[in-house]
Amino acid sequence: MLLSSLSQRDFKVDCRDAYGFAVRPQHLQRYREYANIYQEEEEERSDRWKTFLGQQADSSQLPINGTSSEKYNKELHAEATEQEINNGLEKGVDISGEVPSSDVLLENIIEEKQSATGKKTHGIQIWTEIRPSLRVIEDMMSLRIMRKGNQSEDQQETKKERMVPSFEDAKSAKGASEEDSEDEFYDVERSDPNQDTSSSDIASAPATGAPADALPPESSFPWKEELEVLVRGGVPMALRGELWQAFVGARTRRVENYYQDLLASETNSGNQVDQQSDSDTKGSTADTVCVPEKWKGQIEKDLPRTFPGHPALDSDGRDALRRLLTAYARHNPAVGYCQAMNFFAALLLLLMPEENAFWTLMGIIDDYFDGYYSEEMIESQVDQLVFEELVRERFPKLVNHLDYLGVQVAWVTGPWFLSIFMNMLPWESVLRVWDVLLYEGNRVMLFKTALALMELYGPALVTTKDAGDAVTLLQSLAGSTFDSSQLVLTACMGYQNVNETRLQELRNKHRQAVITMVEERTKGLQALRDSKGLATKLYNFKHDHKSILMETTQKTSGELSRSESGSTNADEVLISLTGDAEIDSVPDQVVWLKVELCKLLEEKRSTMLRAEELETALMEMVKQDNRRQLSARVEQLEQEVSELRRALADKQEQENAMLQVLMRVEQDQKVTEDARIYAEQDAAAQRYAAQVLQEKYEQAVASLAEMEKRVVMAESMLEATLQYQSGQLKAQPSPRCVVNFASAKHF
Amino acid sequence: MAAPPARARADYDYLIKLLLIGDSGVGKSCLLLRFSDGSFTTSFITTIGIDFKIRTIELDSKRIKLQIWDTAGQERFRTITTAYYRGAMGILLVYDVTDESSFNNIRNWIRNIEQHASDNVNKILVGNKADMDESKRAVPTSKGQALADEYGIKFFETSAKTNQNVEQVFFSIARDIKQRLSDTDTKAEPATSKIHLDQASGSGPAAQKSACCGS
Repeated sequence: MLLSSLSQRDFKVDCRDAYGFAVRPQHLQRYREYANIYQEEEEERSDRWKTFLGQQADSSQLPINGTSSEKYNKELHAEATEQEINNGLEKGVDISGEVPSSDVLLENIIEEKQSATGKKTHGIQIWTEIRPSLRVIEDMMSLRIMRKGNQSEDQQETKKERMVPSFEDAKSAKGASEEDSEDEFYDVERSDPNQDTSSSDIASAPATGAPADALPPESSFPWKEELEVLVRGGVPMALRGELWQAFVGARTRRVENYYQDLLASETNSGNQVDQQSDSDTKGSTADTVCVPEKWKGQIEKDLPRTFPGHPALDSDGRDALRRLLTAYARHNPAVGYCQAMNFFAALLLLLMPEENAFWTLMGIIDDYFDGYYSEEMIESQVDQLVFEELVRERFPKLVNHLDYLGVQVAWVTGPWFLSIFMNMLPWESVLRVWDVLLYEGNRVMLFKTALALMELYGPALVTTKDAGDAVTLLQSLAGSTFDSSQLVLTACMGYQNVNETRLQELRNKHRQAVITMVEERTKGLQALRDSKGLATKLYNFKHDHKSILMETTQKTSGELSRSESGSTNADEVLISLTGDAEIDSVPDQVVWLKVELCKLLEEKRSTMLRAEELETALMEMVKQDNRRQLSARVEQLEQEVSELRRALADKQEQENAMLQVLMRVEQDQKVTEDARIYAEQDAAAQRYAAQVLQEKYEQAVASLAEMEKRVVMAESMLEATLQYQSGQLKAQPSPRCVVNFASAKHF
Repeated sequence: MAAPPARARADYDYLIKLLLIGDSGVGKSCLLLRFSDGSFTTSFITTIGIDFKIRTIELDSKRIKLQIWDTAGQERFRTITTAYYRGAMGILLVYDVTDESSFNNIRNWIRNIEQHASDNVNKILVGNKADMDESKRAVPTSKGQALADEYGIKFFETSAKTNQNVEQVFFSIARDIKQRLSDTDTKAEPATSKIHLDQASGSGPAAQKSACCGS
């Protein structure tokens, strides 16, 4: 009920909506446009609920759930009168001048009031029952929880016997100042949700388990359909906290003192660890010690990050959040703490007292979202595959386009589902979706809402050109889904045939794929860890075995309170150890699987035998075939070899012949060469001889020429002599004697 | 890998897929929000599962579209987030300089990368919250640098709050990846066929369907 401590100023500083949640700057304008619509819707639905609840009170002539109608009427009357009284005490918060209409939403959130019997000094109670007028609804909704876990009653009894310190003392300081604020009051409808519950003896009346047996069957609630319509139209803010508890069945789930017990068990768990470390060897305790530490660290990290700056989440609020998350982690160690739970827990704390918030959270996580937030997150992954199949079925065109872009819807819807749309849609839409989801008692509404969003924004997505654009567009469009009524109605009316049965079928179909994938991934991790060696592994195995035993003993001794959650834990521990069972493995399934396994083994054996036979036959055939082929081949090869040999011989002969020819040619060549050389030598000799002859000839010619000269000289001398002689002859008589004389002289 | 599908060719020259990993609360989402939206807020920062942002940057006159996956740091989300490792071309390993365990866990994160991401993925080490007072600092810059050197990767100290080095980190890894892509592209591999393979593998277990439906 932290919303009750909201103060006016905080809203003006930040851009926050009527619930105190931050509005993204880009959405501020649109939020303001819708604030008036929200306001009108809220007034309308307040009236409708008022009428509905009034009718319920009037028509309940017979005692329901052991409470007389007389009492009911009286209580309603009390509510009506006390409303007036409370008006003065209510806080009216003026959010901002621009959004005056949203004030009423806030005013409807009313702090817990002390009863008329005067316990005002006690401060806020951490557990408060819901107003009696809603009890009928609560009883109806509780039926399904009763069906699920009647057997848990024994354990509840043992639980109650344990004495645990209460946290009321720690919280007593709070709320003292709550009634100081006397702001303007605009409230148009009934106010204080809790005042009357604590005032009457009903609060302490019938034990939680007892009315279960007295409950009439669900069919005896003729107004169920009307209620469904009302829920789809939205739950008035003033009733939301209580109605959510009624829907989830917080009171039915509650075991008195269990919450306080969990919170006080810190020392106990410490002892357990010590005991274990005594019996185990050193180092083994690391795991067991680390587990709670791991939650703590993460929770501490997330506390300031949970709706940071929310005016109601002051340090007290965050302390409450820490307690709530820690208690849940201890309650269900298989889940422990998973991010996203901080947002759920904080929202619940804003709407209801701490312990109520715990039981509501426990109902949501353990029941609605069983297997979703556990270590392997198998159901979450299964749901994504289921959702993808639904989208493929409903929006083939969109899926085609997304396939073309390489976009997987799970990129966007994964976070939607895990956060149950928190921080993904505007708050008004988130709350409206939660209304329906919690009322329906399962997570079908997740699928319906996501399908509605696909329907609303699919046409826009088809225009995108790449994966990044598509994803961011869908994210931002979803983030601005301010028309919450349109969204919820589209979801509920358009997808009525999306129901739990169909989803379960689809989940069963896809679960194995996810489990196989997770196994493969863990195997991969194991391969890395295998380096540790065999001894460590053996040790780990023993250690794990021990922890299962511990789990079982805890369960039987009632330390883990409710068998329902206890068994879930044990199951999940088993699963996380063996890694190959389905989350909700029931004995039937185990038997079925065993039979199936036997069948498969049988089949495998016969198949292997047949395979062997076939193999032998094949081998023989192959052998025979081989022999025949081989001999043929050998023959062929031999033939080829002989042919080749012949060819080789021929070749050699040819070669020899060629060689001889070549040699002959060579010899011839040599002879010719010799001849040539001789010829050349002859030629040279002849040339020399010719030269010598030439020289001789020239000498002869020269000597001839000299002789001729001499002849000429001799002739001229002769002539001269003759002339001389003739001269003489003239003087001397005969010339003939002169010639004789000359020739004689010459010789 | 590098080339966009035919129809969107006008939008960008390269498409680069980045992934932010690191312990819870080190400021991955803030870093991304600062880079993609230019804002710093503490209001909407817990990532449940995965988140996604885009920004187109210009590098050497090429338009590069960055698709950046942001992951939840809490250990149990790893079954979901590791499915996104394979499609990533670059991974930013983020730790908080004021939180020593987040730094010590970087080795585990690297082991995760070795196990789930493709072999040639680019990595970069980022020490966030560097604006914090020195008295709160638990990991000296030299230690971060030494680790980065050991793995042969680049290292930056950033502050999403003051916008210190935020652009530099993303631009640095984008540049390295672009270089790698253009190197392999020149090795004459048809880029268009690669992009679809990539998208298919990047989208995890159920992605096989998309491979055949691509352009």
